[in-house]
Amino acid sequence: MRRVRAISAAQLRLLLRSRLAVVALVLLAMLSGIAAITGATQASRMAADRETAQTAANTEFANQPDRHPHRMVHYGTYALRPLGALAAFDPGVDAFAGSLIYLEGHRQNATTLGAARESSGLIRFGQLTPAFVLRVLVPLLLVFVGFAMIVAERQAGLFTLQLTHGANAGELIAGKALALAAVAGVAALPALAALAWAAAQSPAEAGIAALMAVAALLWLGLWVLGITLVSARARSAQSALMALVLAWAVLVVLVPRAAAGVAALAHPLPTKAETDLIIHQELRALGDSHNPNDPHFAAFKAGLLKKYGVSRVEDLPFNYRGALSAEGERLTSQLFARHAADTAAVQMQQHRLLALVGVISPAIGFAQASMAGAATDLASHLAFLDAAEAHRYRLIQSLNGLHTYQVRGADDAARNKDPIAERQSRISARFWADQKPFHHDGPTMADRMAGMLPGLAAMLLWAGLLSWQLVRTGRQEQP
Amino acid sequence: MIAGLLREWRLLAGPARLGLIVLAALASVAVALGLADVAATRADIARVVALEARETQSIAAFAKGDAGEFGYYRNYPVWRAPGDLAFLAPTRGDAVPAVMRIRILALEGQINDNEAANPELLLAGRFDFAFVTLYLAPLLLIALLHDLWSGEREAGRLAALDSLPRARQRLWSPRAVLRAGGVALALLVPLAVGGLVEGTAPLRLGAAAALVLASLGFWMIVTLVVARVQAASATQAAVLAGLWFAITLVVPAAAHLAINAAVPLPNAAAIARENREEVHAGWDRPKADTMARFVALYPAYRAQAATGTAFEWKWYFAFQQLGDAAVAADSAARDAGIAYREAWAQRLGWLLPPVKVAQAMQTLAGSDVGADLRFKARTRGFHRAVREYHYPFLFGGRPMTDAAVAGAPTFSTAVM
Repeated sequence: MRRVRAISAAQLRLLLRSRLAVVALVLLAMLSGIAAITGATQASRMAADRETAQTAANTEFANQPDRHPHRMVHYGTYALRPLGALAAFDPGVDAFAGSLIYLEGHRQNATTLGAARESSGLIRFGQLTPAFVLRVLVPLLLVFVGFAMIVAERQAGLFTLQLTHGANAGELIAGKALALAAVAGVAALPALAALAWAAAQSPAEAGIAALMAVAALLWLGLWVLGITLVSARARSAQSALMALVLAWAVLVVLVPRAAAGVAALAHPLPTKAETDLIIHQELRALGDSHNPNDPHFAAFKAGLLKKYGVSRVEDLPFNYRGALSAEGERLTSQLFARHAADTAAVQMQQHRLLALVGVISPAIGFAQASMAGAATDLASHLAFLDAAEAHRYRLIQSLNGLHTYQVRGADDAARNKDPIAERQSRISARFWADQKPFHHDGPTMADRMAGMLPGLAAMLLWAGLLSWQLVRTGRQEQP
Repeated sequence: MIAGLLREWRLLAGPARLGLIVLAALASVAVALGLADVAATRADIARVVALEARETQSIAAFAKGDAGEFGYYRNYPVWRAPGDLAFLAPTRGDAVPAVMRIRILALEGQINDNEAANPELLLAGRFDFAFVTLYLAPLLLIALLHDLWSGEREAGRLAALDSLPRARQRLWSPRAVLRAGGVALALLVPLAVGGLVEGTAPLRLGAAAALVLASLGFWMIVTLVVARVQAASATQAAVLAGLWFAITLVVPAAAHLAINAAVPLPNAAAIARENREEVHAGWDRPKADTMARFVALYPAYRAQAATGTAFEWKWYFAFQQLGDAAVAADSAARDAGIAYREAWAQRLGWLLPPVKVAQAMQTLAGSDVGADLRFKARTRGFHRAVREYHYPFLFGGRPMTDAAVAGAPTFSTAVM
């Protein structure tokens, strides 16, 4: 072990003397610094903006004047996807997933906003975030720093010389790998510091942040092992570099995109417009509220009349119009829920296909693990959509309940023509303030950790394979 | 020259030939995926238009000619039909929908709707022809050309080869041309096939081909300049890969950060809320006020603007429109801000030719930010046309006959 340390120290000294390596490291440190600082300021600004917007929406709702409750059904409210502290490290899908939903009766609206729709086309080149630095930039830096470390010495005859002087190949390789690992550690430092800083903003997330750091180090560890292996096996420094740059381009740049293309083709998603139209068709089959003779609503009415032993809706002990609204909302929301679940299921199938490709290209596994940890992955977005729809349904039905029990049927029927009835159909503003505002905590820690597992497993598999190959190479390499 | 090219092809090492074949295969797959995407988008649009027509018939069954009911329930599809080069950089599954449904209610709450897309796929970026041309092809070009001279030097042949008479014309030029030409063909042949399938206008296809050649030309010059420097082939490869990396990944990503920080946008969530406040305040304002403000925008309806106590659709749609008018300036400032961000990105493109090629290719494909903004502007114009089609019925109290329903503007016929 002492000898391994000595070899790695010698390799590091050699590296520090190479101007190219030092310049690359300094440039990378600068980039990571920029990514860390802008990531932190942007994420905290966005999180604050969303919180402000959520509070404003809640306040505006609570402060509405005395009104007819159905007016509040149409007034609605907004849900904003909260952004956790760790998004400063990895904003994940945030830029591409809308962050605002308008919640109202009768409709399930699309999300709006999202950085991708308000940026220049440059966003398609990728976003400079600490997670991007670790996933894309640091591996290539390690390739440049490490591709020649063994093969160049062999080409110069130094490797054999060292072996004849009593070093064993395993120790030599381990020493080189250790030196490269040290470089990886230094290169990762600014990005990991960003992660630590983000975790410090939200101490409850320290545990998951630590697991994300493990994922990042595991990812870079794969590159250390892979670069050492290629450098030990290659015939020339040039071919080592070619092989490694090719591997980087394929694994980090090509496969994730190709996999996304395949996933979109393999599991096609219908457009929102088409889904909405199909929901309308299905709704008409279920119960058409515009049709006075619709069997579903006729049965609904007959059931109520029978239950309360009356012959006219006017004699019901509550406002029939409110009950009808609630029934209509129940029907539409059933369909919304089913189609939203279908859409989410297709998206999760696409996600799982990517995870499967992640076994071949651990860049995907690392990205998925990192996003899951930061609560900025697809699952977190879907959880937000679910929470928003659940809130919408609860709020609208609560307002329909007020319509049913707080507004007199006779006033309700006459409100469009009779100003006095109109005034009496308005109920107290205090009811609006009593409604629970939208609140979404995001996925639980357990869910986030579970979301990290497939990616971690894929990387561990690779680490095992590469280590095994490296040990074999060390054994074969005898003087 | 021909003999030189043939000789160079025979001399081309196995991995290099394989690289060219793999690039051609990737470009072909990208074009095929692009064509499939474009076809799927067209099918999406056609299905929505057909479903919407049926939906309109169902509305007619209960609206019974009431223009207000039509105004409230009828949706009009708007879409971005993919052009004949959309397969280069398709937009299916983008956050901006390829097809949307618009009502004559306040537009502000509709026009920013996102597609129900999977954001994880968008995050990964697209595997399309533009990607193969701008990311992968330069890497292969660098791999093939970086050791043009240093490779021979390291093999000990350089001095001998250079001493040949007319070495440049007989040796180096055919070698560089063959390798770069191979990369170009690997891209241009799939592009041409895609163009034939789509029936692309020859001039536009030529422009796309010119962009491919411009990108390759840029990287060829950069590579040959570095290859000319006296250095080890491995160093040259490292420097070129570093340049590629900086130009296609790092600088654009950093510039994106800088541009977004430098050009702030009006708060969209606040605009959405303000629009809602304006619209819903209409219910509580004196009706005469609302109608007076509307008539100021549409004086033609002055004589028909009087309202009674009962609910009237013309009043409802008047305050919908006032909600849009209240935020029109903010909303336009937001779009202008996005356009300004894009203008800065385009300026950066003049410094980094590959970025400019990417932008120009997106423009040809109709998937650039400008196309998004134009779609938005067209949608606003269409919304206005449909509203103004409904107003005479709403204000004049005329029934909307079947002929009037059928005669409403459609997105393809509307003059904007």
